[in-house]
Amino acid sequence: MPDPIIQMTNVNKWYGDFHALKDINFIVNEGDKIVVCGPSGSGKSTMIRTLNWLEAHQEGTIVVNGIEMHQKMKNVDEVRMDVGMVFQHFNLFPHMSVLENLMAGPMWVRGIKEDEARKTAMKFLERVRIPEQADKYPGQLSGGQQQRVAIARSLCMNPKVMLFDEPTSALDPEMVSEVLDTMIELAHDGMTMVCVTHEMGFAKAVADRVVFMDEGAIVEENDPISFFENPQHERSKNFLGQILQH
Amino acid sequence: MLFADTVVAEPAVHKPKIMAIMLLVGMIVFSFFGLNDTIFGEFMRPVIGEPTESGLFGNMAIGLVLSMLFTANIVLIGFLPFRYQVLLVWAELLLLFLSFFYSFGLNFEFIRSKIWFMISQGVFTTLYISAVSITLASMVAIVGAVAKLSTNGFAFAIASFYTSFFRGLPLLMQVYLIYLGLPQLGYVIDAVPAGILALTLCYGAYMTEIFRAGIQSINKGQWEASRSMGFGFALTMRRIILPQAMPLIIPPTGNQFIAMLKDSSLVSVIGVWELMFLARTLGNKDFRHMEMLITAAIIYWCLSMCLEVIQSRIERHYRTISH
Amino acid sequence: MKLNRRIFTIATGAALALSASMSFAGEALDRVMAAGTLKVATDANWAPQSFLNDDNKMDGFDVDVAKEVAKRLGVEVEFVTPSWDIITAGNWNGRWDLSVGSMTPTKTRAEVLSFPGVYYYTPASVAVHKDSPFKVIADLNGKKIGASTATTFELYMQHDLTIDAEGVPSFEYQLTAGELKSYKDSTAAMDDLRLGDGVRINGMVGSLPAIMAGIESNYPLRVLGDPVFYEPLALAIDRGDVEFNDKLAGFLADMKADGTLSALSVKWYGIDYSSTEGGATN
Repeated sequence: MPDPIIQMTNVNKWYGDFHALKDINFIVNEGDKIVVCGPSGSGKSTMIRTLNWLEAHQEGTIVVNGIEMHQKMKNVDEVRMDVGMVFQHFNLFPHMSVLENLMAGPMWVRGIKEDEARKTAMKFLERVRIPEQADKYPGQLSGGQQQRVAIARSLCMNPKVMLFDEPTSALDPEMVSEVLDTMIELAHDGMTMVCVTHEMGFAKAVADRVVFMDEGAIVEENDPISFFENPQHERSKNFLGQILQH
Repeated sequence: MLFADTVVAEPAVHKPKIMAIMLLVGMIVFSFFGLNDTIFGEFMRPVIGEPTESGLFGNMAIGLVLSMLFTANIVLIGFLPFRYQVLLVWAELLLLFLSFFYSFGLNFEFIRSKIWFMISQGVFTTLYISAVSITLASMVAIVGAVAKLSTNGFAFAIASFYTSFFRGLPLLMQVYLIYLGLPQLGYVIDAVPAGILALTLCYGAYMTEIFRAGIQSINKGQWEASRSMGFGFALTMRRIILPQAMPLIIPPTGNQFIAMLKDSSLVSVIGVWELMFLARTLGNKDFRHMEMLITAAIIYWCLSMCLEVIQSRIERHYRTISH
Repeated sequence: MKLNRRIFTIATGAALALSASMSFAGEALDRVMAAGTLKVATDANWAPQSFLNDDNKMDGFDVDVAKEVAKRLGVEVEFVTPSWDIITAGNWNGRWDLSVGSMTPTKTRAEVLSFPGVYYYTPASVAVHKDSPFKVIADLNGKKIGASTATTFELYMQHDLTIDAEGVPSFEYQLTAGELKSYKDSTAAMDDLRLGDGVRINGMVGSLPAIMAGIESNYPLRVLGDPVFYEPLALAIDRGDVEFNDKLAGFLADMKADGTLSALSVKWYGIDYSSTEGGATN
């Protein structure tokens, strides 16, 4: 079996006195699609953000793509280039057109020529079904379109793994499905994905595993069918009870 | 523009009571000036007879007529649409100003003989010093702003000491300190470089705060997105953060540039022949200070207006590309 | 302008505190001869001694004297116009070589500058508005008096003037101001005085030639009484170059002897101020 892409071992993190991550052990293998869920404040966003080290951890080891993350590392950008990240609030660059947003990464840090970057960008824009918006600015697009652009922007970097940090929670309800459809397609194409989301339909459709977190710790990790139909822990049951009422 | 209410009130100047008060106050004020022996007295000769002998009656008659003109003018302007109001009021104020200058009995021949030198020597030097200084100050400001936002205590200490010191001293003193102080340390600095250095350091300190505020106003998400794609600090700053901060930085920076244009006159104390120096000097031999001062004032004003126009163009440019 | 001066004093103090002053022994003359240019510091705002003429070039009595000195040295002349307080502060650091700026050789100035010699004497007089009631100088006691800053006129009004050059008649303090106003230059004082008696000031102390030039240009002023003192006016150089000092002193003696100075004085003032007889004719 090949080495996992992501391996977290006994990871602990504190914000001052607040113990944000407690003894996290977590493995992502190539091709895995993992959904992380849990009540708000459970540490799921913090965990996913330690994976490309937007947040630093204090104890334990995180190895991504064979590189260990630590305070003195010199090659954090190498890790980040291979780890795509999609944010809740899209975080597109508002002063650049859609196409420029997509071309920036490959041209500036991968050293790819402009022509080729443009071709790649158009390819991914077509894949997220908005090639006609290429010359618009992010502010002119709907939330769903912006999030699809953000996904395409990450894909242009040709990442080994994609992280999604609540990608649909800032969207109007009617736009959620267009983003989820894009993500489902991506999953079917074999992309390795870690998604923090409450979209249980998405979890059922594509996830290999569901990770349930509460109060900074992983409470339960299971395949989706077992997790949804037969949660093992009291807290998981409560959580599912609350979100499935809707 | 401020947030305007949808309910439109009748302009205050169209209320009869207000008009009457304006008329009365205008008449008293104009009468008080005693304009009998001016050109207004001549105009009113058919009514008041010999102006110099008309006394209080003449003064009040002139006051009434002027006040009526003044009130009618304001009431009429009140009817115009916004755009024309602006144009008309500008034109009237300008006319008032010009007639004020005209009343000094200036020697325009003298101005004409000196104006080319004032522009070729004075305006050139003023613009040159200001432009170089503002460019250098912007660079200082970027570095200063980054240092002030840095978690490195050393960098923060230097930057905050710098802004505190150079914002805390009068610019004139900085000019003297640099011009007289640097030679004591073994480097004899010329007047123009000393002036540029002083302006750069002083305005760099102010602009550090402007740049810092601009950079801080950019959402943290932009940094995260940029970082998560593997962009380094310098790249993020240059291509992502600063371009977005520009629309916030440019208006106050434009103000600083206009202020600097005028503050550059302080370097005349170390013998730089810029606009203010020439304004004080050229009229000296013939005792024509007013001519030169007014000419220089108008030149400064024109320069500032040009800069204002350029500033609003740049602002519009950044506004259109971000939306 | 008071603030201006105070800032200057603090600035110089700080600058001097930074390090001991440097010496330039014998260097000034070498520097001038090597460059082929004599850099002269003078004021551009003090007609008729030095001002910008109709061609926007430096002109005036001081300027002509400087040109004559350069001619006798066999070098070109170049003028720089730093503010007066910077010139009198000394420590020029080779920025310019010579001051021909009608400077009075006071003891305090001699601590930082050398004076190769006096080249003319200006009577210092009191001027008032032409419509003012004052008849003798004593009438102005307790009034508001203007004088340009960092000059002997101001020192005179502060009763703190020492003139220790040779051949100058002694003087007494005939006037005590109620309030002393400092000006950037004497023109600024005249501009305030012309507004009317007591509008801003009641009188001013300044150089007689400058006042006369103002009156000729229709300033509504008149001169009150005889000159209050004679101001000897000297060339000045940075301390330390005896050779340069002696050479300039020699030129001055020659220019006095061959009548060059008298001729220049008559050209610019209509009166020969190159000796202390000048003021008496007024």
